[in-house]
Amino acid sequence: MLHQIMGQAKKHPSLIPLFIFIEAGGTGAALYVLCLAMFNPDVSWDRKNNPEPWNKLGPNDQYKFYSVNVDDSELKNEGPDF
Amino acid sequence: MAYPFQLGLQDATSPIMEELLHFHDHTLMIVFLISSLVLYIISLMLTTKLTHTSTMDAQEVETVWTILPAIILILIALPSLRILYMMDEINNPSLTVKTMGHQWYWSYEYTDYEDLNFDSYMIPTQELKPGELRLLEVDNRVVLPMEMTIRMLISSEDVLHSWAVPSLGLKTDAIPGRLNQTTLMATRPGLYYGQCSEICGSNHSFMPIVLEMVPLSYFETWSALMV
Repeated sequence: MLHQIMGQAKKHPSLIPLFIFIEAGGTGAALYVLCLAMFNPDVSWDRKNNPEPWNKLGPNDQYKFYSVNVDDSELKNEGPDF
Repeated sequence: MAYPFQLGLQDATSPIMEELLHFHDHTLMIVFLISSLVLYIISLMLTTKLTHTSTMDAQEVETVWTILPAIILILIALPSLRILYMMDEINNPSLTVKTMGHQWYWSYEYTDYEDLNFDSYMIPTQELKPGELRLLEVDNRVVLPMEMTIRMLISSEDVLHSWAVPSLGLKTDAIPGRLNQTTLMATRPGLYYGQCSEICGSNHSFMPIVLEMVPLSYFETWSALMV
């Protein structure tokens, strides 16, 4: 498929920006899904050894993809330790 | 509240709503620019006597009208995602208020310090006093302290409802069997109106929400009186 893309791009160079944006968008989406699969505490892959990762959350870790105002490293755990 | 012939969003009463207003202005400007450009080009094409019937190839213009829309979309997406993440921030609410949707009224529970419960029914049109707003006034308003972050827990006792206050940028579904949370922060005192936003039966349009934001001392006096 790469050969096809290169062939078409040589014949019609105006397609190059289109390919760049499609590849960037597709890669971005795939990377985000990979990020969620690996780091999101709601996901459990290994049911024997790590069945409930959502029960092991620390107060300082950043779980969301992007924090606008809140500095996660300054948050504290206000509940009781158990 | 909304006023007759209103075209835009209501004035913002919370920081998130201010961000949403600016984002709406930004995006609407882009939409107006694109629409007027397209309309202008259409009018040009319909009123010209020039024709060119042998165009086979237009590489330059195709490059431009691929890159430019992609850039415009990125310029819309980045502020949008920023506001989306901002809405979910942890902000340590100082008060928790629960609201349950019923057919066809809202009930509110302030149970942090005492046991305060009341129902909030719409005032029927025949019983409105002069100056009151039709289909928007309620008998018991939700009095809340202003300039404080408040956690709202929203659910329903029967069918789907939705608790919405446009001036604060809030709309959260009230789903039976589920507890939804939203945070409320009003920057100024006043009365803020909203209406049920999920079809729930014959009186769906007649179960409004009225928030009365007051200074903390007034709130404390009111809650002592209401218990």
